[in-house]
Amino acid sequence: MLSTLHPLPKLALCLIWIAASVLVFDLRFQLVTLTLAFGLLWGVQRVALLKLLALMVPFALFGFGFLTTSVLFNKESGFALQMAQEGVMAAPDISPGLVLFTRALACGMVSALFALTTDPGQLVRALMVHLRLPASVGFALMQAMHLVPDLGREMQVLRMARAMRLGRAVRRVPGPGEVMGLTIPLLAFAIRRATRAALAMEARGLRPGAPRSQRETQRFRVMDGVAFGLGVGVLLAVLWAV
Amino acid sequence: MADVLRCEGVAVRYPFASRDAVGPLTLSVARGERVLLLGPSGCGKSTLLHALTGLIPAALPGERRGQLHLFGQPVESRRPADWAGQVAFLFQDAEQTLAGFTIADEIAFALENRALPPAEIATRVAEAMAQAGLAPGWQGRRIATLSGGQKQLVALAAVLAQGAALLVADEPTASLAPAVAQIMADMLLAPGKTVLVVDHRLGPILDRIDRVIVLGRDGQRLAEGPPDAVFASHGAALAAQGIWTPLATRLRLALQAQGVTVPDLVKVANLVAHLPPHADLAPLLLPPPCPIGAETVRLDRVDCAPPFGPVVLRDVSLGLRAGEVLGILGPNGAGKSTLAACLAGLIPPRAGQRTGPPGAIAFQNAESHFTAETTQAECLAMGVPAADVPALLVGWGLDHVAGQHPFTLSAGQKRRLALALLTATDRWPALVLDEPTAGLDHAGTTRIAGHIRRLAAAGRALAVVTHDADFALAVCDRVIVLAGGAVQADGPARPVLRDAALLSRCGLAPPEAAPLLDWMERVTC
Repeated sequence: MLSTLHPLPKLALCLIWIAASVLVFDLRFQLVTLTLAFGLLWGVQRVALLKLLALMVPFALFGFGFLTTSVLFNKESGFALQMAQEGVMAAPDISPGLVLFTRALACGMVSALFALTTDPGQLVRALMVHLRLPASVGFALMQAMHLVPDLGREMQVLRMARAMRLGRAVRRVPGPGEVMGLTIPLLAFAIRRATRAALAMEARGLRPGAPRSQRETQRFRVMDGVAFGLGVGVLLAVLWAV
Repeated sequence: MADVLRCEGVAVRYPFASRDAVGPLTLSVARGERVLLLGPSGCGKSTLLHALTGLIPAALPGERRGQLHLFGQPVESRRPADWAGQVAFLFQDAEQTLAGFTIADEIAFALENRALPPAEIATRVAEAMAQAGLAPGWQGRRIATLSGGQKQLVALAAVLAQGAALLVADEPTASLAPAVAQIMADMLLAPGKTVLVVDHRLGPILDRIDRVIVLGRDGQRLAEGPPDAVFASHGAALAAQGIWTPLATRLRLALQAQGVTVPDLVKVANLVAHLPPHADLAPLLLPPPCPIGAETVRLDRVDCAPPFGPVVLRDVSLGLRAGEVLGILGPNGAGKSTLAACLAGLIPPRAGQRTGPPGAIAFQNAESHFTAETTQAECLAMGVPAADVPALLVGWGLDHVAGQHPFTLSAGQKRRLALALLTATDRWPALVLDEPTAGLDHAGTTRIAGHIRRLAAAGRALAVVTHDADFALAVCDRVIVLAGGAVQADGPARPVLRDAALLSRCGLAPPEAAPLLDWMERVTC
């Protein structure tokens, strides 16, 4: 259901929630944000629990830094934490490190909510149609999205070729030395591919700055407005409650 | 007929090059004419195509001389992008040139650039998808989820939607399975279209071509005219330059050497009626027999999957013996390359067991093998003693490029260097070649075929991944056919490749030489 919403109101709503999460230094608010985003992804969107947990790993590591700093180096980090506590709508009765930790998770979960329910192509299209993102930039973004899996495939072939030479099986995760060795060939591949793509786009009539039309794309519907209003309403209610 | 394209003394030279990449050439394409531009690898065909709408020199560095007119106007009177309304380009590697995120994005791209109304764009997108045989429900399907063949069909649909007066296509069928290649040829070269096409693979397109322009190794015109006349009168000259000619032409020339004279025909089916019973076709079509040794590698009830990907082939059991060449055939996306990696031991099977020593793969993109700065240094890095390097390079016809960077070699030279490196030592008794002939001219293909048989005769176990049934027939002792996630056939090359029903069911086509195999059987009986 969430994936059928127009990407732009959804983006605006997620940014508003993230801004609120950054501004409101309150554990209860962060927990409510985290729970709501998690509930929508797991309960409504049916995203696998393992996937959600895996996605939260980098945010948890980031937040864990705040938590350990505030516990182990309380004196040294006192100024930074005090600044955070003195922000708007701060609730100083809870461990500031814990608030910062849950804030990182809450922001991560809201970002995941947007990323996992939005078609990247439709987002770029919407940005081109409604926010005047230049077509050359929009299609470059789409090319970048194509490039990522292609780079992955190319890297796999290069890794197999190297493993073959070294007489061993391909490792599941490349070591630092292997990564260094792959950087230049992959960069060369990316440049060559980007050059071919740029040439093909020019041959097919893409001119920076020239007027161009857009095929019919996803339109704003009443449902998008209702979802946006509901999201803002819930946010205000949570803010009032905490 | 009015000329859509006219070149007068056109030549293109790249920066720092001592000679022209192509030309000087004088040629024209009339409205409604379908012209095939043929020539050996590296003769400048693609360079000429890039110069047609001014991409060279506007987007790619290079100097163009001579007069070039499109629809009566000098090409340089407009920017390359401004010609998109009248000239549609189908690039060789659709995978790397698709612009959109979904199929509808892709097909609409050129139409949006021309600022056509959204309603007209929607109509044209739907029509083009129907023409290319793409289901209407696929409009929102992501390009990244398509197979190589489907991507090429989307690229074709995008070109058809443009409704341009001139279609320019650079090797449109090079990496496609026969069934998709045929669809592509049927739509691209439909009667009434004005098309300039570059292709090595003559089978699917030759019937639809009105005129052939042949370029020689020097990038200048070697012959021109209707296909039948060109191949009849210039067949020997084309073969001498390593250019692909129809199988019937190649056979006629080879039979001449046996003292057998047959008429100048370009279709094998027509040639069969003129073959005398004493004509010996076996050495011309089939690999020379060589002794088959012990089993080198065995896959036992193996499930194959790319790293981090889903299983694409289930329950595969096969053995590869020393001195044997195994052909691996299948449509685009059948899992041929994944099986190749499993066979070589580079990807462990998800289920089942692989037994045998580690093997090697000659990847389709030969550049993946190169890490040194010169051809010679590559050999040294592979562990070849310095004293043996010159002889090795002479053996593979690479001695004249010993000091060159491997990335600057031609496609055929890169493939030969990769094979030379993988076979220079005894490290890998089993070798898998992934599409070793894709994009090569006849000379390059013949050379690779010769090396494959030489390696087999020396006792290597070889597997060749290919779409080309004629190539498989010429080099393979045994073939397996993959489709639908399983092995559909496994047996001696000749009977499997004559099974038209099986091949059709798997999206493949019988070899062009199939009528000749039938003839050989009749004559033997």
